[in-house]
Amino acid sequence: MSEADDRALLERIARRDRIAFEAFFRAHGPAVHRFLRDLVRDDGLAEELTSDVMVEVWRSASKFGARSRVRTWAFGIAHHKAIDALRKRRPIALPLDAVLDAASPASDPEAAALRSDDRRRLERALASLSLEHRAVLELTYVEGFSQSEIAEIVDCPVATVKTRAFYAKQRLRDALATAENAR
Amino acid sequence: MSEHDVAELLPFYANGTLDAAERARVESELATCATCATELGELRALASSLQGRADAAPPLSERAIDAAFARINAAASMTALRTSWWSAPARYATAAVLVAGIGAAAAAAYHAHEAREADGEYVTVANGIAREQTAQRVYRAGQATQAEQNVNASNASRAAAAAAPAPPPAAVRAQHRLARKAELDLLVRDVEASLKAAQSTISAAGGDVTSLSDDTPRTADAVHGALVEADVPADRLDATLERLSALGALQNRKIDAEDVDDAIVDEEARLRNLRREEADLRKLMDRGGHVGDILQVQQQLSDVRGQIEELDAQHQHDLHRVATSTIALNLTEDRPNATPAKPGPTARIDGAWRAGLTALADTITAVLATIAWCVAFGPVLLTIAAVGYVAIRAAKKRITSP
Repeated sequence: MSEADDRALLERIARRDRIAFEAFFRAHGPAVHRFLRDLVRDDGLAEELTSDVMVEVWRSASKFGARSRVRTWAFGIAHHKAIDALRKRRPIALPLDAVLDAASPASDPEAAALRSDDRRRLERALASLSLEHRAVLELTYVEGFSQSEIAEIVDCPVATVKTRAFYAKQRLRDALATAENAR
Repeated sequence: MSEHDVAELLPFYANGTLDAAERARVESELATCATCATELGELRALASSLQGRADAAPPLSERAIDAAFARINAAASMTALRTSWWSAPARYATAAVLVAGIGAAAAAAYHAHEAREADGEYVTVANGIAREQTAQRVYRAGQATQAEQNVNASNASRAAAAAAPAPPPAAVRAQHRLARKAELDLLVRDVEASLKAAQSTISAAGGDVTSLSDDTPRTADAVHGALVEADVPADRLDATLERLSALGALQNRKIDAEDVDDAIVDEEARLRNLRREEADLRKLMDRGGHVGDILQVQQQLSDVRGQIEELDAQHQHDLHRVATSTIALNLTEDRPNATPAKPGPTARIDGAWRAGLTALADTITAVLATIAWCVAFGPVLLTIAAVGYVAIRAAKKRITSP
């Protein structure tokens, strides 16, 4: 969905158009949910927070000051909500097998086949990273945000984002190597 | 630029978000630095495995959307409760109804007291009078508030609904979306000037003139008239009507309000279902399969999209009708001293003929009236004449006889 489409939807949401709201939810909800899931590592909480983010979008649509992209703005809300939720509630560290089972439903044989050792190692390595590093990896490689956009989402200077991106990759590589040696 | 600086830019080179200058710097470094090229390769492999992992993530449950809708609907109900049902006119109306109710109760008590007093229930007359006065004071207060309520009703255009004694409970009717249409007929001195004033009033209210028909007269005796149709933001309708009414003498003012809430809610429900269907069909498409199946799903998807677009357009139209009210302003020239028409030759002959006929009718009426008078007074006159004649004859006889 293009930025122009997002803005058109947001204008309609500001006029209390529920259909536009649902379209926005369906367009961005899955990515926001995925990001939140990586940050809080709790499926139920991630789902709850996704609703929170979208309700916040509904409430603040008229206040969106076109400084950034709509998507960046929504991810910024998501990051903020995740930090808030984790502050209030100790993160529940999901057993790795639960994460992997949720990630590839048993009913789908194709996905089950994908649950290879590599995937298991990746999950294990990611789980060992800090929230900041997981966030920057997800935002850079999966969501494709720029350095300045990530700086806006996680609310820190651009230089910090660059450093985090660099060290997140180093840590992940080290964690993967450790997992490899442990096999 | 150091190797470390380039290494920090590489993740964003890999995801294609660097600006042209940074990209050029990274590319020139990559051409000479083998470590950097290896690092980039690793980053690309990492990106691909993270994307694969993201694609395999469990989908977002419909529960999340339902929960969000439940919350925004609850918030809307609360807002409606605060702004619609408990709005200023409704508050006055409720207060008025309460006071009127107390007044009526007091009046009933007073009448009951009067009846009992006639039966000799009250011992002290003074006590009875005091109660009577109190009852009348309360009753008058009730009437005064009722009058105030009536003034409010005539002032506020939506007061017909808002000032009703029993507004619908908010829980039953949380939203109250009306498409309003107003008609205004005015008599004005100068249609052209009023037209300009009306246009500027409408644009000042953030509205648009959607149609204009200015009927400039071709002959001097015809009256100048114009019809303006405009859309104004719904919340500015009342103020705009007040300002437009001030342009001339108000002949007619009418406001129609159509409740489009049911239609909007229905469209929203149907659109939600269609969007769910669309999402399901997309999942089927992504799953792949036989060409025939894919084509069938594609056809269904295209049908659903068509329905969504059609319904969405209707939904937008209905929302627009709620957000903007329509005004039809009819301006007519007011000419109290209009010069009478100068008659032509045919009209003059016609006039003479009519004048002649009128004169003839007048003459016949006069003759008939005279005859009627004579018939009525004839017997009296004949009696007087007969009495006079007899008296004169009697007198002559007395003189002539010795």
